[in-house]
Amino acid sequence: MRKAIAFLLVATVGAAFYVVLGHIPFGEDKIDVANHYIQNGVRETGAVNIVTSVVVTYRGFDTLGEVTILFIAAVGIGAVLFTEKKARDEEPKQKASLIVQTGTNLLFPFILLTGVYVFIHGHLTPGGGFQGGAVIASGYLLLYLTWPDWRINRRRFNAVESLSGLAFVVLGVLGITYGMGFLANFLPLGTPNTLFSAGIIPIIYIAIGLKVGSELAGIVGNLMERE
Amino acid sequence: MQEMANSFYYIGAGGLILIGLYMVLAKTNLIKIILGLSFLDTGTHVLLVAIGYVRGRTAPIFSEGMSETTAVVDPVPQALVLTAIVIGVGVLSLALALSIQVYRHYGTLDVRNIRGLKW
Amino acid sequence: MVNPSLLIAIPLAGAFAIPLVGLGSKRIAKWIPPLALAVNLVMGLTLFPKVIEQAIIISIGGFPPPFCINLMVGPLGLSLGILISLIGLLISLYAIDYIKTEPTEKYHALFLLLVTGALGIVLTGDIFNLFVFFEILCIASFALTAYQRDRMGSEAALKYLIQATVGSTFILIAIAFVYGLFGTLNMADIASKIPSAEPIHLFLTLAFFVVGFGVEAAIFPLNSWLPDAHSSAPAPVSAILSAIAIKTGVYAIARITYTLMNAQGVMLLISVGGAITLLVGEIAAYSQKEDIKRMLAYSSIGQIGLIVFALGISTSLGLFGALFQLLNHALAKCLLFLAAGYMISRAGSKKLADLEGLGKQMPLIVIAFTVAAFSLVGLPPFAGFMSKLSIVCAALETKETSYLALIVVALIATVIEAGYFFRLVQRLYFKGDPTTESSRPRVPEAPAGAMIPILVLAGLIIVLGIYPQLLTGALDLAAQELLHRSQYIEVVLGV
Repeated sequence: MRKAIAFLLVATVGAAFYVVLGHIPFGEDKIDVANHYIQNGVRETGAVNIVTSVVVTYRGFDTLGEVTILFIAAVGIGAVLFTEKKARDEEPKQKASLIVQTGTNLLFPFILLTGVYVFIHGHLTPGGGFQGGAVIASGYLLLYLTWPDWRINRRRFNAVESLSGLAFVVLGVLGITYGMGFLANFLPLGTPNTLFSAGIIPIIYIAIGLKVGSELAGIVGNLMERE
Repeated sequence: MQEMANSFYYIGAGGLILIGLYMVLAKTNLIKIILGLSFLDTGTHVLLVAIGYVRGRTAPIFSEGMSETTAVVDPVPQALVLTAIVIGVGVLSLALALSIQVYRHYGTLDVRNIRGLKW
Repeated sequence: MVNPSLLIAIPLAGAFAIPLVGLGSKRIAKWIPPLALAVNLVMGLTLFPKVIEQAIIISIGGFPPPFCINLMVGPLGLSLGILISLIGLLISLYAIDYIKTEPTEKYHALFLLLVTGALGIVLTGDIFNLFVFFEILCIASFALTAYQRDRMGSEAALKYLIQATVGSTFILIAIAFVYGLFGTLNMADIASKIPSAEPIHLFLTLAFFVVGFGVEAAIFPLNSWLPDAHSSAPAPVSAILSAIAIKTGVYAIARITYTLMNAQGVMLLISVGGAITLLVGEIAAYSQKEDIKRMLAYSSIGQIGLIVFALGISTSLGLFGALFQLLNHALAKCLLFLAAGYMISRAGSKKLADLEGLGKQMPLIVIAFTVAAFSLVGLPPFAGFMSKLSIVCAALETKETSYLALIVVALIATVIEAGYFFRLVQRLYFKGDPTTESSRPRVPEAPAGAMIPILVLAGLIIVLGIYPQLLTGALDLAAQELLHRSQYIEVVLGV
């Protein structure tokens, strides 16, 4: 009975897809807004990665909302899985083998370095704050898997998370004080294709990278600490 | 046949969305339902990126040496998908944390048995 | 002139700062939400006179729309923004003493973020931005519903999450359709390009949008999450969810139907859907005997049905009635949930039978409860009378048989609603054991932090009932903004 209703609903949605998507031609040019970004993006924002300029400058408000959503998820998971008692009296879990421990010791700094590279060069190469932050968090996941009894310093990570979030909003408000509007690019744009270009875009991406890295590491920590 | 080859990505994206919808509606294991949510998300992201593709053009990054007039694809759906992926990660991680909490209280992951709230 | 983007930036910054301040002193962290929302309220009220003459367009990032996201601060957006800030302020004052489950500073951060999401939804002029802020609202409400980590709350939050996420996916699919058909995401730009698309595609896109936002707006049959979620959450969370969160779903549907798509043909369908929701909600509320909060949650479903029904009457009086009913329901339902919070803790149980006689033990709170209940039913000296009267008049003015039939349905539902509210008020005042309450020592009903919001809300309901002229001008302008979409396009795009 339940499966029959499910099939019916799925078939209806599929039919709707067929009707609408049949009308949207695949692989053809859409009009005006995207062409404006492509033609004027480098000149107006200074970043050669057009996706970055769209994400941070033209649609910067969406990015602010996105950062907020990750913050809500991290705080929510912290509230939902909160336990009063500290699980110190568990028996120690088995550590990974010597090969894994040595490998992690070697790899962890390089993983962090890769993550930092990705978010600092967000305006020049594919990547950006979110991708870099995810790479950093995967380094911390590796630490959790190798030494299951180790815990991150919760207070320090929460402080980094809140400070970078505040930095993003403050950068936006600074745009207002410079008279250009919320989240406007108020620093000089520089020459394209160099590291110190594109105004506040690298600064915003550094804040986002640190925030996302500490947040995802905190979420992973919350989910792995049982009881 | 040519039509189908052209709209391959649309069919793939639509298929993922329909599979995800069926899993959420018809399955009874909580983890399978959450997997269905993940399928829905992935399908929608593929659909968005596919709508932005323009035939014969390259990625929208004007690196060293590329001229200003190189033809590139539409950057807006890619920015939308960046945001949507992060939203999906937030929702799914919260869903998993809530499932841990529900399992602590009920001891089962079968949706038919998790019915503490009656009419 | 204050920059309206601060209306969203200040609560956001406050929410990010709460964990930092909480590391130092938890007592100060509890006061950040009321402070931020009070600043918002003052800013909103000072901006309002300027918005009446000319709507303010703020582009985020400094480029002209449609190449940038813009905030469209018009009469409709700012009135709803002021309402959201006011109700958020009152509920956050109530929650300072009510919330005792650890970790409290996380509760306050989540609450402030929920209100920020709601503010972003009503002020934005871009459809994908609407989706992002809608997600902020939804995720914050999932976490808040499960906040007390009890059995019922976790189950209700999980069901809510699964249904709302399927809804959000439908919204995202509809946005993909819109981008594929029109190539832009700015609301005014889409509105100006609508005539170039075929009706069947517009209808399907609208259907996806309505289903997606309808999960949050609790339209039948997408509302099975609401009774569980609103009754299992702690009292201030139930209040903000019923008063604000479901209204933003209705606002989004109204914005898409009127301003974006100009969908005159489906108005009757929307009214029918609203009337069915109204009837189902009120009948279900009448049959509740076990749980007062569940009864109030079903009543919310019914009232949303009434607002959606009025939304489908696409005349100026009909939209005015819908907006006024939205305002009245927000004030009244918020008060009902806040009062019920302390009534339940005094009586020790949620069952209606155990609440007998509370009228003598908690006089002020039960009087406020009664005022809100009568306003919701639509009795004369209270605010609800004028809004229900406007809706009935608007439906009669259309002179179409379908609307007349639906008005009969609405009146039947109102009678049922009066039935269960009067039954409850009678229980509160006229039953109960007289011997026990005279021997009990007089204890204060509730802390001052909770009494102030309850009494302020009751006062507002009475004042609006006697002088509705205070707000009719503003609500009329808001209704006009919804109807005159060409003016909207002109203000944003300058065309």
